[in-house]
Amino acid sequence: MTNVKVLLIGGGAREHAIAEALVRSNFEPKLYALMDVKNPGIKRLVEKSGGEIVQGKSKDPNLAAEVAGKFSVDFAFIGPEEPLFHGVCDAIEDVTGIPCVGARQKPAQIEQSKAFMRRLMWKHNVGGRLRFKAFLTVQDAIDYIDEYAESVAIKPARQAGGKGVKVIADVQAYLSDEKKAVKEKHAQAVFEEHMKPYDDIEDRILIEERVEGPEYTAQCFTDGNIVEVMPLVQDAKHAFEEDIGPETGGMGCISGKDGVLPFITAEEKEGSIKIVQQLINAVEKEVGEKYKGIVAGQMMLTDAWGPTIIECYSRFGDPEGTSVLPLLKTDLVEISEAIIGEKLHKINFEWEDRATVVKCIAPKGYPRRRNLAKDHPIAVDIKEIENLGGRVYFGSVSEENGQLLTKGSRAVEIWTDGENIVEASRKAESCIPYVKTLDGWGLFHRKDIGSPELLKKRIELGELQRECFKYRKAKGLVGRRIDWIPGKGKLEYVS
Amino acid sequence: MVGIFGMYAFDENWEIARFVYFGILGCQNRGQENAGIATFDGEKLCRFADKGMVEEAFKNDEIFKGLPGWCGIGGVSAFTAENNNFIPPMFSERGNVAVSMNGKIINCKEIDPQLSEKTHGDMKIVANLLEKSLEKNDSVNAMKEVMEKIRGAYSLVALNKKGDMIIARDPHGIRPLVIGGHGFDLGVISSESAALDVTGSDLSRDVKPGEIFVFEPHSIEKDDQTFKNRNTHYCAFEWVYYARPDSIINDIHVHEVRYKIGEILAKENPVEGVDVVIAVPETAFPFAMAYSKVTGIPIDLGFVRTGRHLRTAIKPTQIERIIGVQLKLNPIRNAVRGRKVVLIDDSVVRGSTLRNTVYLLKKRGAKEVHVRIGSPHLIAPCPFGLDVPSQDELIAKHNTEEEIAQIVGADTFAYLSIKGLCKAIGMPQEKLCLGCFREKYPVYDY
Repeated sequence: MTNVKVLLIGGGAREHAIAEALVRSNFEPKLYALMDVKNPGIKRLVEKSGGEIVQGKSKDPNLAAEVAGKFSVDFAFIGPEEPLFHGVCDAIEDVTGIPCVGARQKPAQIEQSKAFMRRLMWKHNVGGRLRFKAFLTVQDAIDYIDEYAESVAIKPARQAGGKGVKVIADVQAYLSDEKKAVKEKHAQAVFEEHMKPYDDIEDRILIEERVEGPEYTAQCFTDGNIVEVMPLVQDAKHAFEEDIGPETGGMGCISGKDGVLPFITAEEKEGSIKIVQQLINAVEKEVGEKYKGIVAGQMMLTDAWGPTIIECYSRFGDPEGTSVLPLLKTDLVEISEAIIGEKLHKINFEWEDRATVVKCIAPKGYPRRRNLAKDHPIAVDIKEIENLGGRVYFGSVSEENGQLLTKGSRAVEIWTDGENIVEASRKAESCIPYVKTLDGWGLFHRKDIGSPELLKKRIELGELQRECFKYRKAKGLVGRRIDWIPGKGKLEYVS
Repeated sequence: MVGIFGMYAFDENWEIARFVYFGILGCQNRGQENAGIATFDGEKLCRFADKGMVEEAFKNDEIFKGLPGWCGIGGVSAFTAENNNFIPPMFSERGNVAVSMNGKIINCKEIDPQLSEKTHGDMKIVANLLEKSLEKNDSVNAMKEVMEKIRGAYSLVALNKKGDMIIARDPHGIRPLVIGGHGFDLGVISSESAALDVTGSDLSRDVKPGEIFVFEPHSIEKDDQTFKNRNTHYCAFEWVYYARPDSIINDIHVHEVRYKIGEILAKENPVEGVDVVIAVPETAFPFAMAYSKVTGIPIDLGFVRTGRHLRTAIKPTQIERIIGVQLKLNPIRNAVRGRKVVLIDDSVVRGSTLRNTVYLLKKRGAKEVHVRIGSPHLIAPCPFGLDVPSQDELIAKHNTEEEIAQIVGADTFAYLSIKGLCKAIGMPQEKLCLGCFREKYPVYDY
């Protein structure tokens, strides 16, 4: 196949990494892009490939179909989740007949609605089910919080750009009142703030049992039949070093050699793939459409379940996608064709066996006051960074009148590789000084991502969870919780 | 000695005072004379402080209503304050800064001779310096400027009216300080890691010597460069006595050090033909457990306490210490009657309480009492905030081990060696402050 034309939808760092993997293809595809703001990295790749850029709403299904038809591309590759939720794939496929790498609207509900995903898991016996309750009103959520003082995760029932999730460990009885107050205030905020823009699902608030353990992301290609897992990645969610501060979309991530992480075994990786496979099968049964594209389990190694799914992505993680895409040796155009043609089993997947680190650089103000983090001119010395062995992926920046401006979120991602994670991290640190704002506004990143100290902590946490899980497994306690209530007797909760 | 604690929410929905309360309760081992909390709610700095243990000072819910806000600092102190204003956390002169500090600034006289005379006057001086410097600097640079001016041992946490929490540890790291987090919402600072456990927080690490952190509403700022590469001199007494056994101080587990001390004590000064090992509650328990394990001499419970737990050695007056010991130590008769006893204690300051203890054992029928001390001889005061009395009050400064045995009425008496202590901690002498044991201070032209 020659003269392949591909339309890429989305304009963040993840899409920059996808674009790079696409243009690496032996088919030398012409790349077209539909994005909301002009990502300078994608722009460069598109221009080099001889394609074109359309600036416009990437989640508008009509526009997407129009653009795909106009350039009569061979297929479209959808990067972010919102276009999927809005039926961009459905529109492109149904209107123009052009196939997509990306889930159609109905199967994409596994990410769009966290309540849908949890119900699906229970209905179809998918492994690693957390107990949850979904609420339509604030009052119901608050009444529930009032009644059960437990450790919970309070989430918007819909994927809301990764925002609005609050996890509260409510263990010390003497601090329970304070925590209850925060839980209730947060339920209010989820309802009034985070869920306000969304009326495409009915559920409003999700309250889940809180679990503990090291987190990791299992990203997979799927043709609706099988899933092909990529190297495992762990992203760092806390905004600041030492795992302190608010939750972000991810301040960077690590991946290890052999496709695993220092704190996740190959067996646990297998367990994670099984869960994702079960999810894909379940969603097809539920909605009657095959799930084709990228699917990712945001996993946690818990004592209750072993590999447990915390959130589900219908696309590459960001920044997790940036971690693995540069390692992909297999032709992404070939993979895309196989996803579309349901022939993924015929692809022989090859990855560079390297450890990687991605570090995100964000303007101060991110994540809680994005308006402060916005519109700062920024300069990136790509040449110097590449000389040091790093790669630059542009995230929340836009090229306006020949100048790069920050857009409020993580502006630039630096990717490096190495024999091990620590080496890759050191390399990434040497690249950091080559990203600067031009107006003196502060930038921050996490130096500790990939540090020996943080790795040691993760390994210790992993071992602790693994030991507890082994005990539960040996005693036949996986998925079971036994209470004994004085005067009432034994109560068992089986999931 | 002072225990300090701070907690900072990056989400203004949190009411923090109750967390700080449990934080300083977790530091109660570092001071039992008074306690205080200061909070910031976006507009005003509020403060409450009183005499007594934490639970006495904060005796009702009304107090917490006067401490609104999402960030707060607290302190407990072992010193009798001149008045309420001198209980940590302390306000600066114009009330724009509140500071909780553990340690001692040694060049106070040059900065403010009048304040330097008062108990915790140095904390007030630091608060004033910080307040002044904050008028023209951001928080990191203000702290940096203050650190250029002051000399001594200090770990501190401060709050200003911008909602910044300023955290600093002296360049030699004499006093301990740890940093941690609590979910996605809170940053935490404490003298000891145990207080993090009490508040359900996770320990990240020690604040490095000379390191400055500033928690701001939208970021954490850090300076670990300006004061780096100074020699570190961690206070050895933290591991021997001050810190809680469930704390990790400078990345070393306190309980582990105390256990090793017991092992080394048994090897350095063995006693032949004794029947039982008994510990003076409570710090000396791990020493005695290890001593028993190494020697094979059984350990027994020697004393039962009356009333609540008090740290007798840090009570301010002699009479309080004696009352404390007498109440704390009622010997169990058949644990000692007719037996030859190895009595293990953590330290000897004046010898008066030890004398009382040995006397009690003998009166209850102990045939022999061999005293072993889990720390080296205490021969010099501490310029860095440890409440060691002046040299003329220190029994070890003026007497040999044999003389001390005679004074306290023991059959034999021996200290742990300084070398043994360093071995138990697992650090070379030059990395530690052993000033009170060696009468040689590691830093400063004191």
